[in-house]
Amino acid sequence: MGLRLGLLDLFQAGGPLSLRPARTVKTQDDELFDDEFQRKLDYLALVSRKVFNGRMRAERRTKKSGSGIEFADHRDYQPGDDFRYLDWNVYQKFGRLLLRLYEEEEDLSVYLIIDASGSMAFGEGNKLKYAKKVCAALAYVGLANLDRVGIVSTSDKVMDRMPETRGKGRIFKVFRFMRELEPAGITDLGDALKTFVAQHKRRGLAVLVSDLYDPAGFEKGINVLRYNKFDPFVVHIVDKREEKPKLAGDVLLYDCETGDEREVTVTAKVLERFGHVYNEYLHEIERFCTTRTVPYIQADVSVPFDDLILRIFRRGGFLR
Amino acid sequence: MILAGIPFATLATIFGAVAAGMIALYILKLRRRVVAVPFSLLWQKILRDKEATSLFSKLKRLLSLLLQLALLALLVLALGDPRAAATLIKGRNVVVLVDASASMQATDVAPNRLAVAKDEVKRLIRGMGGADRMLIAQMDAAITPMGPMSGDTSELERAVDSIKATDARADFPRALRFATDSLRNIDNAEVVVVSDGNLGEAIDSAGPVHIGDVKLSYMPVGKAKDNVAITQFSVRRYPLDKSRYEVMLEVENTGPEPADVEMSLLGDGTLVDLTKLRLKPGERLPRFYANLSGASRTLEAKLAMIGDTKDYLPADDHAYALLPERRRAKVLVVSTGNTYLEAALLLDEYLEVLTATPLEYATKYAQKSNTFDAIVFDEATPAEMPKTNALYLDPRGPGSPFKVENEIREPGFDKIDRKHPIVRFTALDQVNIARGHKLKAEPGDKVIGASEEGPILVAGTRGGNKMVALGFDVRDSDLALRVAWPVLLLNIINYFTDEDASYLSSFRTGDVWRIPVGQGATQATLTMPGGATQPVPVHEGRAVFLGQNAGFYELSLAQPGAQPAATTGNPTDVTQAGTSVRFAANLLDDFESTIGPQEKLMVDGKEAGTVSAFHVGVRREIWIYLLFIAIAITVLEWITYHRRLTV
Repeated sequence: MGLRLGLLDLFQAGGPLSLRPARTVKTQDDELFDDEFQRKLDYLALVSRKVFNGRMRAERRTKKSGSGIEFADHRDYQPGDDFRYLDWNVYQKFGRLLLRLYEEEEDLSVYLIIDASGSMAFGEGNKLKYAKKVCAALAYVGLANLDRVGIVSTSDKVMDRMPETRGKGRIFKVFRFMRELEPAGITDLGDALKTFVAQHKRRGLAVLVSDLYDPAGFEKGINVLRYNKFDPFVVHIVDKREEKPKLAGDVLLYDCETGDEREVTVTAKVLERFGHVYNEYLHEIERFCTTRTVPYIQADVSVPFDDLILRIFRRGGFLR
Repeated sequence: MILAGIPFATLATIFGAVAAGMIALYILKLRRRVVAVPFSLLWQKILRDKEATSLFSKLKRLLSLLLQLALLALLVLALGDPRAAATLIKGRNVVVLVDASASMQATDVAPNRLAVAKDEVKRLIRGMGGADRMLIAQMDAAITPMGPMSGDTSELERAVDSIKATDARADFPRALRFATDSLRNIDNAEVVVVSDGNLGEAIDSAGPVHIGDVKLSYMPVGKAKDNVAITQFSVRRYPLDKSRYEVMLEVENTGPEPADVEMSLLGDGTLVDLTKLRLKPGERLPRFYANLSGASRTLEAKLAMIGDTKDYLPADDHAYALLPERRRAKVLVVSTGNTYLEAALLLDEYLEVLTATPLEYATKYAQKSNTFDAIVFDEATPAEMPKTNALYLDPRGPGSPFKVENEIREPGFDKIDRKHPIVRFTALDQVNIARGHKLKAEPGDKVIGASEEGPILVAGTRGGNKMVALGFDVRDSDLALRVAWPVLLLNIINYFTDEDASYLSSFRTGDVWRIPVGQGATQATLTMPGGATQPVPVHEGRAVFLGQNAGFYELSLAQPGAQPAATTGNPTDVTQAGTSVRFAANLLDDFESTIGPQEKLMVDGKEAGTVSAFHVGVRREIWIYLLFIAIAITVLEWITYHRRLTV
């Protein structure tokens, strides 16, 4: 109950709220993908081959039945089906018209969905930088393993996309894409990923790299991928410094994405409770993914990105 | 409850204005520090909990405002200096008389009685009530208030600190009259006397001092009686041999124990005599030092104790005296020729005699008559009196200082004022006179010799100058043939130049000294024994000063234009402009040297009570406590705010 006359605050406040500067930082990505980074990518590609030795990319199969050469199953003939796939031997033996189904063989697509919303660039922009590195590394490993790799940046919509491509030589295209990626907008993974699935008919592995600060709920985005038969893989970018923000006293908090304002008097007790809420949020995400068998990796920005990539390899789901 | 400081209406205005500003600041929305967060939804849950306590928050905010208003009220009330009505009515008005007489310098209590008395008075001051007022006065030969009557303790303590000891006796009746006059028509009046009690009876020339309803309290200081003092000290030159002098001093043991003392006499700082004496309790021992010679100018007597003899008052162990300075007196004789006169004046080698005829006097010396110490008019009476001392032998006419009346035949000295210095050592009874003239004495004149018919030898003062007239011509008598003639003549000149045998070798402290400085001077500068100088006023040709410290003084005339006069060094002598005169001052007061403290003090037939109801530690000013409460609340609030207990 101090003599809170507010005079000091009047003088200390920077200016009108409407002129409040955005606390996001443009990432300077020119040095993100230097030689050292590329050397690490080569190492990771080598390690990925060593770990999953003997498995060729061509062996990867989809669950989709189609025009392959390996028999998969029978199903009843429906008018309009191609007569060529009728199993006449079965008809001769049992008198039923059955259609022969074959497994369709194809090289699977890997989609790297990078969250480029404002919250990813919060503070010093560490989360977005880290996400870019992780995406670039996964893209390189994918390209090196002859996968078709596509990259999509999202906020509340699909902001930019790099069409699916294959071959190691395309990594520089990936780098260019990453460099040109600027943070903007609010997070709405549900809407953004609905656009994504509409644009990408080929199903495949969808690696979602995000801090999952989605006001509409992080589940929506993941569920959109799941419901549309993509294989979601969640890389949750976490900056542990956000658990203990350096705040004290009477403050006006505003959301760096939505601009939503809240008045708070920050005390030690409030900070402690915030820490609990923050950790509870992380656990909730992990719990959600685990129960829905969605591969989940929590990526702390303080951990070197190559260590994280190895963890992703070990966790499985990215390389098969 | 009564407000002794700012009145209530003003306080209400101050409170209203500041409180309005305070409330306005509370109503204004607090401008918070703006901070960005990455995901505000995380804060939502916490804020939901906080919102549940928002009512409590509002209550706290209201409580905070009320607390601030309460703090403001406390401070504003403190400005009003509230006091309990009872204490305001019962506030005492105290006059403290601090004895600063010589006996208070006694060291029987460390460091001395006056210092202890001052400490006691300071204790009284600290124990004063909020409504009490006090006046501190120094009581010595005069009474000096050291400040106004006040309730401000620091001001009173400064007043106590400015009290200084003197070498004089305290004038208790005057101090009491001052105190009772100061407290006249004031309720709850009290006089506190802080003293060793050697103050004498409270009776002065106007009679006993009545203190009326004023409460009299006495705070005794001191405990021992042992003291040996010099109570008399004087020096004089021999009348007929002025190169020699004699010293008289008296030593008294005022203590209860026998005392062994060593008495030293110093002339110009050099030891002249050293005597060891033993005095019984209460014994007075006079000592004479006859036929002393030398060029001594200053004389100083000192007492030193021998063995375990105790003497707690050092102020009376010293006595000072100055010998009259010897110099040639300039005498102008205005005569047509008088062998007897000229012969008599030749007897004193320290006279510088100039002779002039009446005509020469009128043309040459009348205008500068003040350059002579004395003028003798023999059968010549100028129309105007000279501006110096003059002896008229057989005066005539209107210019005479004393009116000359009818002639008388065969007058004689039938009546003689034998105490007068000019007839000392003379036998005038047998003088035969053929004829003379009767002189008429004015009021203030002194008839020294008279015949049956009237006065024939008169002394008086005219224009500040001494005048003596002899009503006959010495040549018409056998006086000129007698030894009495030159002795009378030299006595008169000594009387003029104050070189008589009744020379006063020192002043007494505590008296008002009147030091002759001659006509025309308006101010003189007095150099004290400590070296400090002080201007003293001159009134009717005398510098007036209430001397309170023993030692050697020097008086110098600051303003030229004073009448020139003799500078004999005698304190009763006249000082010349641009010159200075030295003199000595001594305590020499056996009453003040009797230092035994008195247990009781009696005034107006009543015994003074003991000092009470001055208890240190409890201040009755409420505003101090209000201020303490305000500070305590502020500190408490500061702690709780910064520990986030109340936010």
